[in-house]
Amino acid sequence: MKRSLAALTALLLALSASACSGDDPEESGPVTLTLAGWSLATTPEFKTLADGFRAAHPDIAVELKEYDASNYDTQMIADLAAGKAPDIYVQKNLKNFYTYQNGKQLLDVSDVAGKLGAGVGGLSSYQVDGKTWAIPYRQDSWVLFYNKALFDKAGVEHPDGSWTWDDYGTVARELTTKLKAAGDKALGAYQHTWQSTSQGFALAQTAGADLQSGDFGFLKPYYEKALALQAAGAQVSFGDATTNSLTYQAQFGKQSAAMMPMGTWYIATLLSQQAKGDADTFEWGIAPAPQATKSTTGTSATPVTFADPTGLGINPKISERKIEAAKSFLAYAASADAAKALAGIGVTPADTATAADTIFTLKGAPTDDLSKFTFTRHDTKPENPVSKYTAPLQNILKDLHTAVLSGSKPIDAAITEAQDRAKNEVLSK
Amino acid sequence: MTTIADTRRRRGRVVARNTAVGWSFLLPNFAGFVILTMVPVVLLFYYAFTEWDVFGGATWTGLDNFRQMARDTSFWTALRNTLYYAAFHIPLTLGVSLGLALLLNRRLRGVAFFRTVAFFPYITSIVAIAQIWNMLFSPGFGPVNEVLRWIGVDHPPGWTTSADASMPAVIVVGTWRYMGYYMLLFLAGLQTIPAQLYEAALVDGASAWQRFRAVTLPGLRHTTFFITVLLTIESFKVLDLILVMTDGGPGQSTLVLSQYIFQKGFEENQFGYASAVSVVLFAICFLVTVVQFVVNKRRSA
Repeated sequence: MKRSLAALTALLLALSASACSGDDPEESGPVTLTLAGWSLATTPEFKTLADGFRAAHPDIAVELKEYDASNYDTQMIADLAAGKAPDIYVQKNLKNFYTYQNGKQLLDVSDVAGKLGAGVGGLSSYQVDGKTWAIPYRQDSWVLFYNKALFDKAGVEHPDGSWTWDDYGTVARELTTKLKAAGDKALGAYQHTWQSTSQGFALAQTAGADLQSGDFGFLKPYYEKALALQAAGAQVSFGDATTNSLTYQAQFGKQSAAMMPMGTWYIATLLSQQAKGDADTFEWGIAPAPQATKSTTGTSATPVTFADPTGLGINPKISERKIEAAKSFLAYAASADAAKALAGIGVTPADTATAADTIFTLKGAPTDDLSKFTFTRHDTKPENPVSKYTAPLQNILKDLHTAVLSGSKPIDAAITEAQDRAKNEVLSK
Repeated sequence: MTTIADTRRRRGRVVARNTAVGWSFLLPNFAGFVILTMVPVVLLFYYAFTEWDVFGGATWTGLDNFRQMARDTSFWTALRNTLYYAAFHIPLTLGVSLGLALLLNRRLRGVAFFRTVAFFPYITSIVAIAQIWNMLFSPGFGPVNEVLRWIGVDHPPGWTTSADASMPAVIVVGTWRYMGYYMLLFLAGLQTIPAQLYEAALVDGASAWQRFRAVTLPGLRHTTFFITVLLTIESFKVLDLILVMTDGGPGQSTLVLSQYIFQKGFEENQFGYASAVSVVLFAICFLVTVVQFVVNKRRSA
């Protein structure tokens, strides 16, 4: 019995000891960089970047570390706090960039930023106190996806880049009526359930709009228009979309809606779903997002839209000898070569002008001039302007979004409540 | 004399060995409990008095978090909603599961089948439950409102998409999910009531209601108490159901305390403040349970 007790104790000690060790600083030998990514099976961009980099730097290996797409930031923050995060990690959007930067979890990469091409968009969001903390490799923009076949069936003219939100609303109603007359159940438009579908445009397109001002009056016209479209039956109501867990991929891909404002990341998804048969096969195109006023419409102006850049940052706990390699990886990810490689899989790189020729030659991609214009010309403002207050303010505005679009609260009352909460819970701190 | 001392020594050794064996059996579980539960809980009480964004050290801020909580309308909304949920979920589930247990405690044909059916919701994945119920509750095409319209309700509620009806909808689903589990506990309790008591009551000419009041309920007292404590704690820390059914919405109409903690901690990285709210939630659960114990003790005295 005594012997077995001793054995048990020894076993427990051995177990706890092995759990504590396992660090391998790899101080010599070839350099291996670790790179964070999410849903690797369905998100090929990380592998594309790793392979492209490997081709140019055969002596440096890149290993991917997979995270869960919807809990990426939570998992990454936990890993960083535990000192187990990969050498290079992705800034999935700007909402948590403040947390990483302020928490000293990013290495200064100003020298990489200094050598970037002029066409790289989204860089300024990563600049704090005159230094750059991450390098963008993707810069999506919200645009208007439209189904050319449904427009033709309804006998409505295709978008021409001249639309304001009022024009968009008129066409959505017209499409709904005419499609119904033609015996098609599709609706004119689909607005996904995310708060960004109303708030992102409102923040980007309204002059003087500022989250941190605590004044959310700029949201009102955008919500009034969305509610009017719901009431007219020209788009699925918010309640039906949430309770039935509608996906935007199915709403547009299965031709339940003729138009849909969405980010350019959907290009890659739509191309692959059409190729695989998960989406119907039909001709589609992208047009600039509808504008607040006529002044930014038309192909001679630059349409204003929004989306956060996606960037790469370096974990400051990286070992000294790997820093140069990691920086050259960041430089590669923002380079013209990487932009073309990313465009080759349908992804919108930070340098859209370089990538346009590649992305529009993909099978199933639109070929019209307006789609190309839309892809390359845009004034894309950040959805989450970097600040200490952005994450809590966005949570307050998310409550406003669900309350207003579900019809639980009138827009004026909801705005007043959100402003009170912002002042009381966030901005006073 | 020597023999007595010997026996004593031997007995002492046996006791020591038995204790050691007992501890060694406990150790794996106990070590896990200490490392994974006790230590974090104790740390939580420390973090509640700090400001901490996970990276680096926490800064001691004294009672600042609690002062902020007093002013924080969202915290009060979450607390109110949690009490709302508990106030309806506890008696409803208690009643329904007791009713089910009484119903299924007889010799019926297929009683095992019906017991299994009642237990089914408890073992079904909560995500699946939320998806299906959300579809049933869908304001436009959901079967629930179809039925309501058919029986003549002109304006059926919007359920999970309306601020007034979202909490009732969640309570209905919560009750439906847990009734089978507590039914099982009640069934076990019912089996322990001696049949002679019912026979005696019958001989005395007691009606079914009288038998229920005078025999069944007192016989179930310990079970009922146990279930009430479990239900109370479960109601106060409800999270998964809310998260997958309404995500706290529309607006803040179904925001509950544990979700608020999750939001503040993991979405906004205010771990100090989130810990402070957790401490409050802990205090509430603790207080309610203590009150229940005291009341129970007084009754049995």
